[in-house]
Amino acid sequence: MRMGDTAKAMWWLVYKDSLRELRTFGVWPGMLLLGLATVFLLATQLNMSVEQKTSLAGGLLWISIFFAGTVALERSFASERDSGCWQTLCLYPAPPSVIFLAKMATNTISTLLLECVLIPAFVVLTDVPLLSRPLPLLLVVVLGTLCFASIGTLLSAMTAGLRARGGMLALLLLPLLTPVLLASAEATRLILVDEVGPALWQWVNLLAVFAGVFTMAGAVLFEFVMEE
Amino acid sequence: MFAANDHHLSATRFAIPTGVLALVAVASWSIFFVAPTEATMGDVQRIIYLHVAVAWCGLAAMIALGLCGGAYLVSRRLSWDFWSQALCEVGCLGTFLTLVTGSAWAHEAWGTWWTWEPRLTSSLVMWIMYCGMLLIRSSIEEPQRRARVGAVLAIIGVGDVPLVLMATRWFRGVHPVSPEMDPTMRVVLLTSLVSFTAVFAYLATMRRRQLEIADQVVELEAIA
Repeated sequence: MRMGDTAKAMWWLVYKDSLRELRTFGVWPGMLLLGLATVFLLATQLNMSVEQKTSLAGGLLWISIFFAGTVALERSFASERDSGCWQTLCLYPAPPSVIFLAKMATNTISTLLLECVLIPAFVVLTDVPLLSRPLPLLLVVVLGTLCFASIGTLLSAMTAGLRARGGMLALLLLPLLTPVLLASAEATRLILVDEVGPALWQWVNLLAVFAGVFTMAGAVLFEFVMEE
Repeated sequence: MFAANDHHLSATRFAIPTGVLALVAVASWSIFFVAPTEATMGDVQRIIYLHVAVAWCGLAAMIALGLCGGAYLVSRRLSWDFWSQALCEVGCLGTFLTLVTGSAWAHEAWGTWWTWEPRLTSSLVMWIMYCGMLLIRSSIEEPQRRARVGAVLAIIGVGDVPLVLMATRWFRGVHPVSPEMDPTMRVVLLTSLVSFTAVFAYLATMRRRQLEIADQVVELEAIA
């Protein structure tokens, strides 16, 4: 398959998923509300000075993102199965790795959308200066989201046909995300305390390695997950 | 010929568990009566001989699990999945014992049962992954699908092994890294490693055999 055809095949899948979501709003409202509710509950418990909040904010923000983002991940393949489109997806004239990358792109878009709402909400509710260094924060957010979407997409496909798929996905996903959570939270904390130096880049590099490894592993292993 | 084979089989069945039990007896005796008492921690330090051995078994089981998963995806033989199931159960036990013994040691050494230290956290992640794999496997009825999903999960799970091994070097923590040891202590540790590896390998082999027999029974029932 030529590069242009691969990109086109990927684009149509992302377009299909985005269009369906825009027509039905089956995932995004629930995901956003769950994210906001989590941030609100966490903010009510952060009755402390801004310095103390700053040391905790990174971890709490990423926990909220991963927790609410799991809703979008869970639906990304379950909706295909529920609407009887799984077989059609398997017959899509593109290699399984392309289908994986397209689904991962859709999940990345959903999670980035969630972050666009949660990060300002977190700033407003906690007074933590998260947006003081926007560019380094953007880099950490994009890399953390890629890690989350890559491993989450693979696990979502694996658990889509199971009875207790939501619980199973969270059970498998959250432990696997622990190193990503630690790296993202620490990088966010360093940005908050204005330590944009070698220590931050060390965590950013680690996130980039995780994103690369998870994406490659997902693209290779997805072929076996799609078999019926 | 059958009588000779039966005799050979029963002798092997008796010899292997006896050998494993003898190894455990030697290791236990060495831990309690040969290893010198550590100057700072006293007798509590003896937990380390068990802790290191079961931790190694938990990690080795995960590596073997990944290899069996890869072998299944290449060959599509269910016999590899029997190994995967057995290794998953044994690895789960090994990692659980690692957490329990480590926690008991930490209570004396650090004054707390648990701390969010990189090595401890990555080991806990490994145990949750073992539990997750067992749970997912038990929820899939169809054998080939169960084997396929299990194999993919096992390959992903192997990614945690370098994190556990390198946690103390990559992320600064309080977990000891290759501490200086008396030569006798090293020999005792090695004895414990060998004997517990034998125990876990024996358990995995027996469980795999049990799963194979269960599968044969299902096949026979389907024919009848």
